[in-house]
Amino acid sequence: MIARKIVLAILGLLWLVPVYLLLANASKLPAEFGDYGLWEPGNIGALLTNMADAWDRGRLSQGIVSTAIYAVVSPIIAVLIGAAAGFAIVALRLRNGFFWFVVIFASTIFPLQMILMPLFVGYAETGLFNTRVGMILVYTVIATPFSAFVMRNFFTGIAHQVFEAAVMDGASTWRIFWRIYLPMSTSALVAIFILQATFIWNDLLLGLTLTQSSEIRPVITALSALQSTYGGSAMSTVLAGGLLVSLPTVILFLATQRAFSRGLSLGQF
Amino acid sequence: MSLPTARQADLVPQQRRPKNQFWLSSIGFVAPGVLLVAVVLYLPFLWTTYISFTEYNGLGDPEFIGIENYRDMFADPAFLNSVLNTLYWVVGTIALPVGLGLLIAVLSHGLPNATLFRLPFLIPYALSGVAVGVIWSFVLQTNGALSQALEFFNLPGSELRWLLDAPLNTFVMIGASTWQGAGVNALLFGIGLQSIPKEPLEAARVDGASGFTLFRTMTWPMLAPLTTVVVGLSIVGSLKTFDIIWGMTKGGPGRVSETLALTMYKETFVNNAYGLGAAVALFLTVVTVLASILYLRRQLAHSRSI
Repeated sequence: MIARKIVLAILGLLWLVPVYLLLANASKLPAEFGDYGLWEPGNIGALLTNMADAWDRGRLSQGIVSTAIYAVVSPIIAVLIGAAAGFAIVALRLRNGFFWFVVIFASTIFPLQMILMPLFVGYAETGLFNTRVGMILVYTVIATPFSAFVMRNFFTGIAHQVFEAAVMDGASTWRIFWRIYLPMSTSALVAIFILQATFIWNDLLLGLTLTQSSEIRPVITALSALQSTYGGSAMSTVLAGGLLVSLPTVILFLATQRAFSRGLSLGQF
Repeated sequence: MSLPTARQADLVPQQRRPKNQFWLSSIGFVAPGVLLVAVVLYLPFLWTTYISFTEYNGLGDPEFIGIENYRDMFADPAFLNSVLNTLYWVVGTIALPVGLGLLIAVLSHGLPNATLFRLPFLIPYALSGVAVGVIWSFVLQTNGALSQALEFFNLPGSELRWLLDAPLNTFVMIGASTWQGAGVNALLFGIGLQSIPKEPLEAARVDGASGFTLFRTMTWPMLAPLTTVVVGLSIVGSLKTFDIIWGMTKGGPGRVSETLALTMYKETFVNNAYGLGAAVALFLTVVTVLASILYLRRQLAHSRSI
């Protein structure tokens, strides 16, 4: 027991070293950066100044509203679409339901690289390029297969008698879906939402390909640009920016970790 | 004579089966998902496949040139190097994040405060690949924090140029990716360990098995289905690695640390060689799908033989 704890604690501390270096060096003003050793801590005041700098001059502020919209709206729509597909297959016993499930789910095996170029060209032609609607659309579709996968598994665990009883009472299928099946699966819905919101918030590739202006670009893409332009001279500003854009997902993930693994262990495998 | 008759008899009741009274709404509920996936994922797949056999720069019409893109691709040393790097990523990702994730899960399983002990490993998982790249390219700069630490402890390696020399830069990036990915594997293995029934383990313990023997003979075989899933996800994920490399070396210096995902991106959006980029994308897809199928078939055959 003790030996296990010691090994884990050492590994854990090792894992925290890069986090320490991030915090320590994000809290040194670029002008004073050379006066400190890399392993020395900085100070809180400088950290706030650096964050403000990354936020304003690094233009992280412009992307953050868009990113928040993408990371909230797309997973919600995807969770509903995935749940609807699962409902059709499991509760309504869609003909060839398994085939349609495979059609939706198999698309996750293929690398994103396969769709980048056609989306870029297609978005340019349809006017979706560099629009929020376009980004919400693509993120929704990317999040749908996983959501259908978990929701189909989850609904399999709900007895079909529930559905039959509701039909006897004269409820419409829409009402059964909306008022009975969705409320029964809150834990799975939340787990999918958290996972997909984190994924979308952290996405680089789609943002890089399908957007251009800084109000539409996701914030991670802005961070990547910040790293390229500031990289050498103002490393601490870049580190502060990295810290800033990571806070929402880290907090969300750590706060919901328990609920999250519960929802997944019910749904998966 | 009797065989066809029997078949016909089998078919008849199926044709008379009453129609599902919900068929219309079942189609309505599944339609949005199927339509979105068809238009935004499958249609582009087909288009990329077609473009890979053409010469196309994004303007005008694609011109059909047969397999020339593929011939160019395999003749390019940078592409072959990219294949090799991708292979490093696959092997490294199976070994390190999966192995460490399993170790963390097994060590913390059943400990009081297990969540607390697992916390440090979960923080990096919530970071984006770009943020991980920002942190680690800082740590690994030539004469950066790692080199200074090695020097301080009189360890060898402080003179290494971590991100500039190949294949060292690929290896240290796999390290950065391990830092990010081990936690989620630990989480998944943790879920698996919880679902293992207690009785066989107790029985084995009564029979005198303990420590590593207990793990090897009891826990590991019972974890097998989950290990299949975790390793499968890791293979597919490592083949697609893009963000961390983009955040650390952008595939450079030159093209020495590119993987297939970066090669595809650069050919298409930097060089405007859409046809060649599409060929790389298709190659990557074929490799990914083949790897998944081969791996799953082997695993399934294996589990059947047990």
